[in-house]
Amino acid sequence: MLVIRRRVGQSVFIGEDVEIEILDAGPGKVKLGITAPREILVLRNEIRFTREENLVAAQGVTPEAVQNLVARIRSGASPVRGAGPNGNKLADGEILPESGP
Amino acid sequence: MPEFQTRYFEQITYLPESVIEFPLGLPGFENERRFLLVEQELNKPIVFLQSLSRPELCFITVPVQGILPGYELTLSAEELHTLDLAEDRQPVVGEDVLHLAVVSLAEERPPTANLLAPVVINWRKRLAIQSVQTDSSYSHQHPLLTRDLELQCS
Repeated sequence: MLVIRRRVGQSVFIGEDVEIEILDAGPGKVKLGITAPREILVLRNEIRFTREENLVAAQGVTPEAVQNLVARIRSGASPVRGAGPNGNKLADGEILPESGP
Repeated sequence: MPEFQTRYFEQITYLPESVIEFPLGLPGFENERRFLLVEQELNKPIVFLQSLSRPELCFITVPVQGILPGYELTLSAEELHTLDLAEDRQPVVGEDVLHLAVVSLAEERPPTANLLAPVVINWRKRLAIQSVQTDSSYSHQHPLLTRDLELQCS
């Protein structure tokens, strides 16, 4: 990893087109200004993780995988409980339509 | 009553007012705005998040409270605005909002839940977002199996 020390107002270039400027720095926080061509995707790492995770999550939904997961949860193998009285309460028949014909 | 052909539930009949709208989509699925929550007695506590535009797109979610009781949800003013919630206080989970963790089931690794970015639903207004908890230390791959069981399985 390349480590560079910069002060507020200074910047670094990545390639020809991407500039990252330090706009502000405080205790435990920095504010960055990023100038990049429109086609370059700029994502905060946690959004990128979520994006990648969503793409994985969207792939794995097969009836077998769902059955396995439910079996694991119910057998106590997974520390997942149903929502308790203080958890997510779903009003009966309000949000969740029964599936299937 | 509208009907929708899905890949996993076959034909679904639903009430138009039961559609949940994600005004911003979800990261990676920015154009998917309309979903149904489907809960089946057989598969509780799983809640399915079924896209209404793509029959094959269905997320598995479980209530965050069920995975990590005491989870602290923090929404920004912008997020509260998107959900049409009061911007001067944090919503009460179970009362104002539901929050669900998206589960990843991949063959090559044990199931995990994304606690970094729970789906938060204002069920009264049928508005939802996937809220990335930027300043938290919650994991995007929170294991759904205990370590011991992982060892046994491997």
